[in-house]
Amino acid sequence: MNVLVTSSNDYTIVTIEGRIDATSSNEFEKSVMEVIEEGNTKIILDCSGLNYISSSGLRVFLIALKKMKAIKGQLKLCNLQPVIQGIFDVSGFATIFSIFPDQKSAMER
Amino acid sequence: MYRVLWVDNQIAELTRVEVFLEELGEEWAFQMPLVLSLNLVLEEALTNIISYGYDDEGKHSIEIVFRKIGAELIISIIDDGHAYDPTSNAEPDITLSAEERPVGGLGIFLIKKVMNKVEYQRKENKNYLILTKNIG
Repeated sequence: MNVLVTSSNDYTIVTIEGRIDATSSNEFEKSVMEVIEEGNTKIILDCSGLNYISSSGLRVFLIALKKMKAIKGQLKLCNLQPVIQGIFDVSGFATIFSIFPDQKSAMER
Repeated sequence: MYRVLWVDNQIAELTRVEVFLEELGEEWAFQMPLVLSLNLVLEEALTNIISYGYDDEGKHSIEIVFRKIGAELIISIIDDGHAYDPTSNAEPDITLSAEERPVGGLGIFLIKKVMNKVEYQRKENKNYLILTKNIG
């Protein structure tokens, strides 16, 4: 798992690559929490390179969303691969997250 | 067709499970989405066993048996941890808002969503989790 943090317009973009499973979710949580604690209030998680997620990874996504909601910030997801979208659908996460087809549309709304 | 994988009660073993499933997928001609789904199911089941199944700090082996019988794939996970029936878990409420949703509790739910049948048995001080998927 790799995380790349960049910024574009007002957004901080966290690009995730690889797998978020029980062996890598702690590392992922640390990276995402750092971005939030730095005070970024508009964050996009670009999942184009995310090819596997388990409940350990979903847990981190939910923690991040709760944190962002608590500070009235924005957390958006984009570029979910079909397998990942499927897991978000069955777990009900697709209804609590703002999911966009790409970075551009995530920034526009 | 029949294959067996033994893993130790360590989270790092999940990497070996991933490699094993990729090889099994090639051998048994599974499509990639199926391999990923099976990986998810095994990770959730094994993470539970490894994290909560044992009362001691010792090393334990977990046996995973894969059987392909006609259009059915049957995966049996056998561990010597304390008795735990995951099929009795309450289902999470997936309609709650982000603020209301508890963190965690999705593992068993995801297993039930991917597999067609999830059965549990306790025999001779061992847990048997038997997972069946129709793979047509």
